[in-house]
This record gives sequence, C-alpha cells and structure tokens, in this order.
Amino acid sequence: MKIKFLIITLLSFSITGVSQTKEEIEAKDFFWGSNDAYKNAINISDAYKNESAVILYKNENYDFHKFGKNVTYKTSIRKRIKLLDKAALDEFSEFSFKKRFRSDKGQYSWRKKGNNIVGIKIIKKDGNEIEIDVNAEAIEVDGEYKLAISNLEVGDIIDYYFQKTEPFKSTYAFGFDPIETTLGEEYPVMDFKLYFETENDFFINFNSYNGAPELKEIPTDKKNFRRYTLEAVNIKKNKFPRWFFPLIEIPSYKFQVYFARSGKFEDRALAFLPEKENIIKKTVLKEEVLELYDNRFKPDGYIGDVKDFFKGKDFKNDEEKVIAAYYYMRHFYLTRYIEAIFIDEAKISYNPYSYYGTSPVFIQDQKQFIKHFTEFLKRHKIDYEIVVAKKRFDGTIDDLLIEKNVNVLLKIKTKNPIYVEHFGPHTCVNQYSPLLEGTDVYLLSASKNRIDAINKGKLPISSASQNENKKEVTFSLNDDFNGFEITTIDSYKGHLKEDQQYERLYLSDYVYEDYSKYETKSFVDLVKRKKDKIKFEKELDALISKLNDKQKEKFKKIAESEYELTDIEDYSFKINSTGRYGLDSYFTYTESFKGKNAFIKKAGPNYIIEIGKLITGQIDLNEEQRNRKENIHMYYPRSYNNEIVFNIPDGYTISGIDKLSKNVSNKTGAFISKAKIENNKLIINTSKYYENNYEPNANWNLMVNFLDAANQFTNEKILLKKK
Amino acid sequence: MLKPLYYFIFISLFSINSFSQKKVEPTEDDKKLAKSLKDIYTDDTVVLENSEDIITFGLNIKEQKVTVNQIMTESMINIDSRSDIQKYCFYDGQTSIEEFKINYRNNKKAYFFLKDEAYTSNDLFHNDVRVKYANIDFPLLGYRYNTHIKKTYDDIKYFTQLQFFNEYPIVKKTLKIEIPNWLNLELKEINFEGYDIKKEVSEDSKRKLKTYIYTLENIPSAFKEENAPGPSYIYPHILILAKSYTLKDKKENIFNTTQDLYNWYSSLVNSLENDNTEIKDLVKSLTAKANSEEEKIKNIYYWVQDNIRYIAFEDGIAGFKPDEAVNVFKKKYGDCKGMANLTKQMLLEAGFDARLTWIGTKRIAYDYSTPNLSIDNHMICSIMKDEKPIFLDGTEKFNAYGEYANRIQGKQTLIENGSDFILETVPETSPSFNKETYNYELTLNDDLIEGTANKNFNGESRTSLLYNFDTLKNDKKDAFLEYYLNNSNTNIKVSNIETSDLSNRELSLNINYNISIKNAVSKFDNDIYITVDFDKELENFLLKKRKTDFIFSFKRFLETSTKINIPSEYKISYIPEDINISSKNYDLSVRFIKDSNNIIYKKSFKIKNAKIETSDFEEWNNFIHKLNNIYNEQIVLTK
Repeated sequence: MKIKFLIITLLSFSITGVSQTKEEIEAKDFFWGSNDAYKNAINISDAYKNESAVILYKNENYDFHKFGKNVTYKTSIRKRIKLLDKAALDEFSEFSFKKRFRSDKGQYSWRKKGNNIVGIKIIKKDGNEIEIDVNAEAIEVDGEYKLAISNLEVGDIIDYYFQKTEPFKSTYAFGFDPIETTLGEEYPVMDFKLYFETENDFFINFNSYNGAPELKEIPTDKKNFRRYTLEAVNIKKNKFPRWFFPLIEIPSYKFQVYFARSGKFEDRALAFLPEKENIIKKTVLKEEVLELYDNRFKPDGYIGDVKDFFKGKDFKNDEEKVIAAYYYMRHFYLTRYIEAIFIDEAKISYNPYSYYGTSPVFIQDQKQFIKHFTEFLKRHKIDYEIVVAKKRFDGTIDDLLIEKNVNVLLKIKTKNPIYVEHFGPHTCVNQYSPLLEGTDVYLLSASKNRIDAINKGKLPISSASQNENKKEVTFSLNDDFNGFEITTIDSYKGHLKEDQQYERLYLSDYVYEDYSKYETKSFVDLVKRKKDKIKFEKELDALISKLNDKQKEKFKKIAESEYELTDIEDYSFKINSTGRYGLDSYFTYTESFKGKNAFIKKAGPNYIIEIGKLITGQIDLNEEQRNRKENIHMYYPRSYNNEIVFNIPDGYTISGIDKLSKNVSNKTGAFISKAKIENNKLIINTSKYYENNYEPNANWNLMVNFLDAANQFTNEKILLKKK
Repeated sequence: MLKPLYYFIFISLFSINSFSQKKVEPTEDDKKLAKSLKDIYTDDTVVLENSEDIITFGLNIKEQKVTVNQIMTESMINIDSRSDIQKYCFYDGQTSIEEFKINYRNNKKAYFFLKDEAYTSNDLFHNDVRVKYANIDFPLLGYRYNTHIKKTYDDIKYFTQLQFFNEYPIVKKTLKIEIPNWLNLELKEINFEGYDIKKEVSEDSKRKLKTYIYTLENIPSAFKEENAPGPSYIYPHILILAKSYTLKDKKENIFNTTQDLYNWYSSLVNSLENDNTEIKDLVKSLTAKANSEEEKIKNIYYWVQDNIRYIAFEDGIAGFKPDEAVNVFKKKYGDCKGMANLTKQMLLEAGFDARLTWIGTKRIAYDYSTPNLSIDNHMICSIMKDEKPIFLDGTEKFNAYGEYANRIQGKQTLIENGSDFILETVPETSPSFNKETYNYELTLNDDLIEGTANKNFNGESRTSLLYNFDTLKNDKKDAFLEYYLNNSNTNIKVSNIETSDLSNRELSLNINYNISIKNAVSKFDNDIYITVDFDKELENFLLKKRKTDFIFSFKRFLETSTKINIPSEYKISYIPEDINISSKNYDLSVRFIKDSNNIIYKKSFKIKNAKIETSDFEEWNNFIHKLNNIYNEQIVLTK
C-alpha cells in the first residue's frame, strides 16, 4: 500500500507552484518551525520494538474561519513515524496527491480553488535531517502528483505534513462532514494532539468515548477566537476482530462543525447545535430532538396514487391497510423505476425517466418517506409514532451527537404495532436495519397537527428463528464413485434474506412480479411512439438476456467457492419464490450441479464420504481468535438449519453415523446435529444458531464451544462399506 | 444504484434519433452472421469481421528520422445478446493518435465520448504511456460499428512489430505494408508455421515502393491464460527490422546490425557523467574488511539488492538510458538500469571490470540476431572474470552471488565492451538447484498424527520464501510462519519452529518443527483410515481447455517423504498404488513403502524445464487424475 491522499475527510491534499509560496513557508514554519516540540522525538520504547512502524507524533488541526459568507476551512495532519521494517518502508516510500481541487462545499463557484501543501522530511539514524524538495521531485500526470521518497531506509523517521485549505461561500447554514474515528490507528501512536480553531458562527459538537481524553479549551486573548485541544499518549494500534464495533469498544471521538451565520440559519440547520458558539456540545437532550424535528416531520406528500389503488378494495383492519399501502408505495415510488435505471445505465434511451410523466414521486430518503407515509396514515386516521433511533455500532441514543447518525422509521399503532422504514426494492413491513434492534429510541408523536411529545421507547429484537437460512442438500454419488451431484434448496427469511435478494434477484426476477401484482405498466408499455417502443423492447430484452447469462456464471462461481470445488458442471439455478411481501416469507432458490475430486475418498474396496463438509464453511478459529478479549457485536440473532440427504448407493452400508450427532447448546447459541437412515437414505439435520446480537466477552468461551462443534462437524466422515 | 431525483425533474428535450434507427439496427443477415460466429467463438462477445492495418513510411529530413503511419480500420460485430466494450489505443512520447473515429454500420458517426488518460500500472511508478478510449455499447445481436484509428510514430525505432491476433476473434486480418525504395526494411516473419498466412508482394515502380500484403483468416481471440509463455512465442507476428534508409544517395543505418543497436545503447550510456565521488566511501566501507575479491563483489552486490528499492520510470529516453549511479545511490531507488549502473560504478570503484549488460527476459523469444528495440527489456551488470561474465541483477532480492533467476537463464546478453560488444548467454541451472525437500516423521497416536517435520529450500524456492518473509510486517512474521507451515489448516498445529538464518541468502533454508494433526484419522469398526497427505502439491493442476504451454516461475524439484509409525497391533490392509511418469519436461512419482510398523510415502515432482507444453497435456492430465485419486485415497489399517 502507498500513501494516497484522496478526498476523504482530512486526508486530501495538494501543493502549488515550483518555488515556495507564502503559504508553503507558513505551513513549514507551523509544523517544523522553532516551536516544534517534537523535532527531537526520535526514540521509541522497548515495548514497540517488534512493531512495523511507530508514530512518534501525530497532529491533526481543524481551523474554521470566515468573513461574512466566505468560509476558509483549513485542515492538516502531521505524522512523524519511525519505520522499523521493509513493509513500513514500502508503505511510506511513495506519496500521491493533487495540487489543486475544487471545493464541493457551499455554493458552486468557478473562482475559488482549494490548495494543498505537502512537506516531507527524513531523519536518518544519525540524526541528520533531509528535507524532500516536494515541488522539484514530484511528477505530475493529469493533475495528479506522485512522489517517490529519496534516501528512505529502514530505521529512518519520516516526518510529513499535509495541509488542505478549502475556501468556499455559503449563504445558508452548512454542516461539515462529521468525523467519527477511533483514537488509535494501524500503528501505535506515542503522542497525539488534535487542535480546533474556530470563531463565531461555527458551532462544534464534540465528544470523546470509551476512555478517550476530553477536548479542552485553550485560552486565547481574542474574544471571538477559540482554540481547543485533545491530547493523548501511548495509544495502542487498532485491532479489528470479527464481530466488533470499534466506536463503542475502544477510545474514540466524534465531531461535527456547523457554520450558521445568524439565528435564522441556526434554526434552519439540520443539526443539534450548541446554544452558543463558545459551548462545545457533548450530548443531545430529548427536548432538543423534539425541537429539531417537530416541524420537519409534518405529514406531506401526494398520495392520490395510493387512493386510486385502494379504490374498490376492502380491508379487514388498519393493519391490512398499512401493509397494502407500504408494498404498493414500494412499487409505485421505487421498483416501477428500476427498469428505467437499467435502461439509462445501458444507454438504451437517453432519458427514460421522461416516460413516467411530469412529476412522478420517487422517494429517496428516510425523511421523505416519513412525511409521505404519515400523510397516508393521517388521511386514514391511523395513529403512529416516529421512531428516532441510532445504530448500535455508533453508541446508544443517549450518546447522540450528530444528526446524520439518526435513523427514522415509523411505529404504527395498530392492534399489533407495525414498523416501517424507507424501502429498498425488497424491504418488507416490520423490517428495519437490524442494527437498530433492541436499542433505546425516542418516539415522537403529535397530539394535533404538530409533533409535540417525545418519549423513550425500545425497538423489539428479532429472534434466531426469525432470521433463518434453511438449506436442503441432496447428495448423490455417480455410479462409478468418481463424482457426485448436489441439489440444494436454499431458503432465507428475516434479516438473512435481503442481502441474498440483492445478490440473486435481477431486474427481471422481481420487477415484473410487481407490475403484475399491481397491474401497472412496464417501461415499454409507457412508451407511446411505436418505433421507440419496438427499439426499447428489443434492446431491453437483449440486456436482460445478457444479465441473466452473467448472473448464472456468477452464481456458479459462488457455488464453487461455497463448496470449495473447482470446475463444477451442469450448473442450474432457479428462483422458487422471491419472498418480497413479508418478512416471514421465504426467498427460495434451487441450485444443482455435478462435481469431482471432493467429498469421496477411496479406502480399499470401501469409500469414506466427507459428509460433514456439506454444511459448507464454518468459522474455524485460530489461537488469536480463541483468546479474544473484546465483546462480541453481531448484526442479529440467526439460525442456519440444514437437511442433508445422502442417497446410499445400492450394495453399500454406512458406518459411523454416531459421529454425526452433536449437541452443544448454551445461552449464546447452539450446534445440534442428528442423523438417521430411512429408505436407503442417510438424513442429517443440523441446526446452528446465534441466540443474541451481542455477547459480553465473558460469554466468548460459550460461543467458542458451539462454533467449534459446528467446525468439527465439517471434519466428520462416514464409511460407505461394500455389503 | 438509484438515481437522484433530478432525473425526474429535468426532462430532456431531445429523444433518440429514430430516423436513423433502421439504418443502424442489425439486418437479418447480420443477425444470422452473428449467430454463426457465436457458434465458433463461444466465449467471445464481439468479432472483428475485417481488420486491416495499412503501414506507410515517411522521412523527417530535419530530424533525420524515418516516420511511420499506421491506419487501423476494423469492422466489429456483436455476437452476444448485448456487449459493452472499450475501444482503445495506446500512445506515448514517441507516438500520437491523429484520428480516432467510430461509425455505425451505415458509416454515420457514432457519438461516443473519447477519453484520454494516462496509463497507470502497479508495476511502473511512472511512464509516459497514455490511452485514448471510448466505452461503446452494442445493444443488439448483430449490431455493428466501424472504427478508424490513425497512429503515427516519430521514429521507426519504436515501431517494432505487427500482430495478427487481437483480443477479439478476427474473420479476416490484413496487414498491408508499403515500403518505399529508399527504406531498407526487413519484415521478419515469426511463428508463421501452422498458420495459413497468405503473402502478396507487388512492386509499384511509379510510386517507387514495394507493397507486402499479409492476410490471415478466422483468427481466434488472443489467449487469456495465466502462466502462458510471452506473446512473442505463441502468436504469429512480423518483427520490423529497420535497417537503413538512403537520402540523396547517402545510406544511413538505423539498426542494420546488432552493432548499430549497441552503438545507440552505448551512446546513451556514454552520455552519463558517472561522477562517483559520493559513492567512494560506501565502496570503501563495503570492501575494506573483505577477505577475498569475491567477498568484495558480494558485499557490493548484496548492498544494492538490500538498499535500493525498485521503482520503474519509463518516460521517453529514460526508458532506455540509465540514471546516474550517484543519483540512484542518493535516492535509494531506481529501475533496473539505474541499479545496474550503480552496481557497475561501485564495482569499478572497487577495482573490478564491471560492464552494463542488456538482456531480454525469458518472456521475450528473441536474441540479438534481430536488432530491434523489442528484443530486450532488462539491464543487469556483468563482472568479467577470466574473460567470462558473472551476471549481477540488482533488481533481484535475496539472490546469492553466482545464482541466476530463472527469468534470465538461457537468455543471450549484450555486454559492453568499449566500441565493440560481447554476446554471452546466462547459464541455465538444473531443477536440483531449486530443490525443496519435506520430511515428516510421524506416529499414529490414537486420533492424532504427531511427530516432527523438516522443510528445506534451495535456489529460487529459498529466494522467494526469504523475500516474502522479509517484506512482512515485524509483528506478523511469527504468525506467517505458522500459517505457511500448516497450510492455513487449523487441524494442523505446528510448534517449536526453528529456522536457519532468514536473512542469509547463501545458505540453504531449513525449517524444523513439531507437528500434530487432528481429523486425519477415522476409526470405523475395527479399521483405521488415515489421510496421509496434507500438502497435496499439484492437486489443482489439471490443464484443461488450455491452449498455451504452462510456464512455471522456475524449474521445480520437490521431494517429500512422510514416514508414519503405526501401532503394533495393526497391520496395513490397504495402501494406494504407486504411480510415476517421465518425459522431457517432467519426472513425477508417488510411492508407498511398507516397512514393518511404518508406512513410508514418497513424492518426487521434478519440472525439468519450468514448463508443461501443450503436447504434454494429455499425459500430464492423466497423471494429475491419478495423483488426485491418491490424494483422495486412505490408508487402511486393520487390527
């Protein structure tokens, strides 16, 4: 990996000019000038000797200044790194960056361009400092600069800074991208200092979590000018094991800065702003949540389409009505346009969206969905609450700091409450991000027209049995035992379903299902001009045919990788049911193929069948994973139920089925398997489930027990013995 | 995936030009043709029904250079339901693309946006190659486009060859070369055997030129196979040997002989200043304590390998001219030429007769008998000892003095010799030089197989392992060794790993460790079934559907021995049958030996010439089938 500075948060930089500009000289003085307290930092402690690299000093700066509507946003980072091996040398041996860039913030302007400044020096083992002449040594191609660092060796220290100055103009309130990060990074950091510099009209939300130091104010002599710092020493390098949410486990910090020139703009800002610029906002009270959203979630939207759809239909109760409306909207405001998206992408028509009329509704974010759906609920006098929630990887609702982290959905207060969230093409009623499950939430409700009440609540949590992958595998040997045939029927429901639907359902697999269910017109039906209609139809058919071929090839490769096979033959794939109209309905497909060189081992006149491998890849823990010290954060409880049917060849019996029975079950989950022989078939049922979406580290050993049992099952074999 | 709302708000005013639809849509004949082509070229999506290159030459009198015009026209047809491809053409500092047109089948212009980007490659830090390209879509079966590209070369030196093959199949390929009488140019036909290439030669006394027309029909698409020989071995092509031109009765040599090529290379090298003042101290420190001449050379050679990072710059003349040694020394990076020059200058400082040496790696089929810039691609350093060269390749890592990487073995080199040059070939080594030996001494211990293991690596098997180990992060090195030794199989536990010095490139690499294997023993009734192989080398080496030789990175020789001690109360009731095969390219065998309470399982795989040829495939695949059967067999012990 090389150091590549892209436009991601802070790390986007470039330089200007051949000779040093005033800005370059200032930047150099700022980082490496006489006030540099780290110019002599060269030693690492013994504890770090076996590391690849150690960051002696890391400094991040965020400066926000303005003149009226003109904002100057300056960010910079400096790292002073001791390189201890070739891997680190390789990583820091090449840099690439852009000199100039156009800001994407505020109003669009051709005039103002941002610029970046880069400084790099090397400190040799003997203490000799060599500054790289970046302007002279970097090579430019199409505005992108590349620099190979001269004279860099293992044992050297590389000390570099990147400063990005981004001027832009914003009349209205403007929120900078939030930063949410762990204190640590890939290498250990011995000393870290983060500085903020702001003045009036800039509002800061900032908080530290999981033991990270707090942001502290540094006194300044100017009234409107404020400086803050966060300082930390000896930060461990990050390790991200499986099932881990770093932002709630290891020291981290989050912040967002908002620019708002007056009270009017402050009110309009979609953010939980501190009361005044000189206050660093650390938490958000529920009253503030109510205040921000009371006007923003007013029911609003054209729902004549739903009205038309409801015409002549009878519903037993509100529940049925809500469910029918949700799936109809999912089609009318989303899947109805999917063909057009493909047609646009494939350039079959230059503006396929024009065929949908002059102002079709296309719901594209959570907030629009809430407004639209509540308009429907209001018209039908169905009571509801707006759920304000936060994903588990980001901390609890009590740690709310940044508005962008809020997820909104609806709790509809029918007899059995219904939850609905902004839909994707396959989202079902009562389906919302599993990362919200079981979290504390705020519930907003309105007594009349205005949202005026906020209460705490909790979202329900799904069970392992609700999130299920069911797999029926039929395994048969060829007559000469040199190969086999596998047929599987895979069924998914609950949270395990949607990813599979995205992966396996292509345009023609589900869009036409919706057209026929709702008796709506397909894209081609919308085209009036005959010539165009014929052209689009032909080209769309050709596109679908191509996509289907690619799909089959892709699924074949997935099957090969799942069963660890090479070169399977006669692969077939068929969708049995799309499972798109209910969280509990199964998405089911059938696959079959023939393979060789796996599962069958010759043993004299007999055969050993590696039958356990048919439950496919299980988690195989290494020593480091077994010694896990972190808590376990998973997405949702889930279950995997397999039925394996092995057709016993005539003239053979089976030995060793006793080894196929396992039962490890505890409060964290289970692996249970049973085997029996019926009608000359060996039938094995296995069930693996994860009971919860979270386990404290104290329960890790319990999880290891059932994970190991499942993995051991994959190693189990039976003997096929000649009678 | 979803497009933003503005798509719905800004309704475009223009719709498709349907007036021309009929004229660009495929005809019934085209659809039929597309289907019949798909029957032949099942894995392809687009076919070039016609592809013609017309080459003409000019003379830039001012610059004294012969220029080249290459006009490439293609008529493409889609043989799939739909295809989306990129039509592209590369150029660089010596070439330019003057025309790039894409038309519908009715020859009306198709408006595809033409992009122009720098070509980037992970292997090259910086180069001057750029690419012009357009993303073009064929919405229907039988859809056609015609393309026309005009590329010019400022200097004939850089126009090195003409190809018949393309990434798409071609129904008819024509190469038309018009050679004016003032130009002495040889069209060297390479790999024409087995192809029905027609050649017509005509003379036009009026235009004072000779026209060569080569045609080849029904050409499949270029092979998309990994580990294939370099293209110059497998495709028919024409090597352009630009020998000389005559202007006003005066003959000027281009690359008339190898001496001309050497003269040009030499002129670039001689223009270097090579002020070695700054490297003198280093050379002194590296050689001061050396006990022999050889040790001095080694100290310098290894210093370059270990301390100079390989970073490739290919920009104009920098693609041919080495960087100054002192620059490479100061920067601590360079390309092969810079590293060769630094090695040479350091050795000169130490008093040795070191020379720059040009070479085409094994990927290139040619030697120096056909002077042309595409015959070499690498530079090393030679040190003359008893009038024989010892080759030093600074780009290699962990390469011991006197050992040569497979990629240069057997290749002819062009060695500096003042105004003259020397041609010498890099010696080949035998597979034994790279021998890997694995020895397992194991005991069956209830459900476990336990014991000790030894792995020994030599030659390039050693070099690659040492290099990989060296590039790992310090804190990942121990874990890597375990992972490497247990083949990332958690059923295999390795412990007490002892290695030879992993920084010493001259020693054979030796690893001893303890091993414990679970889930390799199954007990059914009174019998024990044992899986005996955990490495399964060559397991997936079936060379099916392949059309080119399979090339190994070096000559392989692996010998493994697994001795399993079995409990005395058991007898061996079944062991698999031995297999072996021998040919000019390989010797392969697997043997099982019963020895009182031991089973000894031996494998010997020798790939003698680092390749399996297509003519070997049937026999080779038969062996691999049998080998896989053994890997899928169990040893059976009965009480």
